[in-house]
Amino acid sequence: MAAIETERLSRRFKGGLTAVDAIDLSVEAGEVYGFLGPNGAGKTTTVRMLVTLLRPTGGRAMVAGHDVARDPDAVRRRIGVALQEAALDGLMTGRELVELQATLHGIAPSAVRTRGQDLLERVGLVEAQDRRVATYSGGMKRRLDLALALIHEPAVLFLDEPTTGLDPVSRMTLWEEVRRLKDRGTTVFLTTQYLEEADRLADRLGIISQGRIVAEGTPAALKAEIGHPHLELAFAGDAPDLDAAATVMAAFGPPEVLRELEKVRVPLPDGAASIAAVVRALDEKGLGVAALELVEPTLDDVFAAKTGRHLEGA
Amino acid sequence: MIRASLALARRALRNTARRPQFAAPLLVMPTLFLAANVGGLTRSTALPGFPPVNSFLNFQLAGSMTQALLLGGVSSGIAVALEIEDGFFDRLVISPIPRVAIVLGRLAATAVLAFTQVLYFLLIGTIFGGGPEGGVIGFAAIVAIGVIAGIAFGAIGVTIALRARTVSTVQGIFPLVLVVLFVSSAFFPRGLLEVPARQIAAFNPLSYIADGLRNPIVGSVSAGPVLEGLAAAVGLAAAAIALAVWSLRVRLRAV
Amino acid sequence: MSTAVTALTASGRLRIVVALARRGLNEVLRVPGASIPGVLAPTIFLLGISSVFGAAAKLPGFTADDFKTFVVPVGMLQGAAFAGAATGVNLARDIERGWFDRLLLVPAPRLTLLAGLVSSGALRSLLPSVVVFAAGLALGVHFPGVLGTLLAFLLVMGLSTCLACYATTLALHFRTQQAAPLMQMGGFIAVLFTPAYAPADLLAGWMHAIAVVNPVTYVLQGVRQGFVGPVTWSGTWPALAAIAAMLVVLAALAARGMRQTGR
Repeated sequence: MAAIETERLSRRFKGGLTAVDAIDLSVEAGEVYGFLGPNGAGKTTTVRMLVTLLRPTGGRAMVAGHDVARDPDAVRRRIGVALQEAALDGLMTGRELVELQATLHGIAPSAVRTRGQDLLERVGLVEAQDRRVATYSGGMKRRLDLALALIHEPAVLFLDEPTTGLDPVSRMTLWEEVRRLKDRGTTVFLTTQYLEEADRLADRLGIISQGRIVAEGTPAALKAEIGHPHLELAFAGDAPDLDAAATVMAAFGPPEVLRELEKVRVPLPDGAASIAAVVRALDEKGLGVAALELVEPTLDDVFAAKTGRHLEGA
Repeated sequence: MIRASLALARRALRNTARRPQFAAPLLVMPTLFLAANVGGLTRSTALPGFPPVNSFLNFQLAGSMTQALLLGGVSSGIAVALEIEDGFFDRLVISPIPRVAIVLGRLAATAVLAFTQVLYFLLIGTIFGGGPEGGVIGFAAIVAIGVIAGIAFGAIGVTIALRARTVSTVQGIFPLVLVVLFVSSAFFPRGLLEVPARQIAAFNPLSYIADGLRNPIVGSVSAGPVLEGLAAAVGLAAAAIALAVWSLRVRLRAV
Repeated sequence: MSTAVTALTASGRLRIVVALARRGLNEVLRVPGASIPGVLAPTIFLLGISSVFGAAAKLPGFTADDFKTFVVPVGMLQGAAFAGAATGVNLARDIERGWFDRLLLVPAPRLTLLAGLVSSGALRSLLPSVVVFAAGLALGVHFPGVLGTLLAFLLVMGLSTCLACYATTLALHFRTQQAAPLMQMGGFIAVLFTPAYAPADLLAGWMHAIAVVNPVTYVLQGVRQGFVGPVTWSGTWPALAAIAAMLVVLAALAARGMRQTGR
């Protein structure tokens, strides 16, 4: 069963702006789904509809087996949401916040304490738990926010730009936690503006632009759709015969001679697997390879091709 | 200097007009208070010792004007504190205008606001209370005392803003303003005030300003209260403007 | 794999209300100085009004011993009004900062969440009203008796809850703290357009007409028992009925506001 499934999901605001325009999404249970889009593309509006904060004006969305519009409470019981600004109450301590969240989610009073401690330990905030949240660093706040989202062991977790503005170490910690959650079988719906994050974490990606899904698939498939990996070769000797090399390499794909760089480039659909064959063929003709590089298309290339824009922070 | 002051005053007034939600309480709050006081205590004019007036509303009108002018002063202070917080103040300081114009421009805008407030309450009085009875001279006296008092309160607000520099501190003085107003004869005849307030009111410049504003409303103009009111307003304004300009100097030296 | 997918029990709902009320009190207990304006305003009002208008008690037909005894209940209700408004202002701030989204994601009935939000207003009203009450006693106002005191604070909390519902409705509609003056003005008018300064018979005609239809009039007269005249059932039930009626209407409006967020 799909953990998230939308059918022509739409949101039209008063004043006529259609922020989300009949999108179809399907996220399998246990999958990490990366949701990318430039600012104003409809990313946040989509997430707000999926987590029951905003009612769709058209189409429907099923999350964790329930309709977000018809049975929002059933959805709320099964989802966890880490909000973009990590909206926390600075006057409360970390422990108080976690225990408040547990109570709000109907966890029995006898279990509130232990549940809270488990989570604080998991996100590494045990030492800081009795300090007011206002004194926390940005990374600590995000980790606390994640703990709050996990308090009721949700089946589907929504992370809205979880690492925006975080230092690299905090970002790594958060990535590890997302992987751990995936290992436990939690479905993760992740919006991000960092392509590296999407590339590393997501099993599949959706790219939204102007309220419509413009691309969907695994990171590898999306990149392959844009172009194949290329092999770039440099040769031994002062004046290597680039044209001779190109002739040899034509057997693998249409070669391209880069004269200024003294390199020859050839597309390699199978990636690294066929590097050895290319090198061997050149060697047989007496063309010694001095350096080689396999150039993969990046998600940024995909993004630019699909939306006409580059992501900030990529 | 005058040109720069006027330009700044125009800007201040434009900002006030563009955000009516902030300016409205300056009239609405005193109006509500006026309505509550008049509705509840309209019979007070029958009290022994109450001076002869044709209605309690006419008596209260001067108190409401004074209250509104004080609120206007607080709001001028808040406006300056906002400019300090958002950096506009620093832009003015480094621009080639005379620095005194920063204070004078704000006070010119406060004067226009005060004039509007005085007119508004005279209009209320005309509609519901039979109107001011002092004729043209009385009207001139009310406008003069009101506008000068408004400038004085504005200068006090600006002084506090220049010293405190934050909006919340300036907002915090608002309760204090009400305390000073309550220990004056703005809302009730001085002779009928309870004991500590009655003595304090005798030394409170707000008493004389309110009584000066009241005299032409409740009867024909008599020189005594009007001149006292005018003197209190002018004295307060002179002292407060001097303080404001001095605070500006201190602040600029500290930069 | 999920442990908490069951629906809430009644005691679970009650725990939510208590937890949210406790959080609301942090504002008073943990922010130094935050409660000062809310306490100062009604206290200054009481002291100021009684020293300015004190002589009004000499009017023929005035029912209380003196003016300050007559207006202490007004000051207490002003405190309740400010506390109710503060609940709305804080909600508006929570909406601005995104905390309210977190609350909306809770799988509990919206009415339960609303009850949690406004009940902190009820508790919070105790602070200014106790200070006003104490200031009154210090000024020489007589103690209204145990029953009168309890009834007074019960009604103060009731009115504060009603006005918290009103302020919450505005906060949900405007979603910004800039609506604060509107929230404060509502309670200010409601409390003063009653026989606040003088017995009903002495009011101006138009004020008398408003006071008769203003439910807060009956709440005020309920609080005044013990201060002015004895506590009686015939003076108490109209106050309770007025609170109940206001609560039904204003809570329904606030609940509608809660349901409509996100539409």
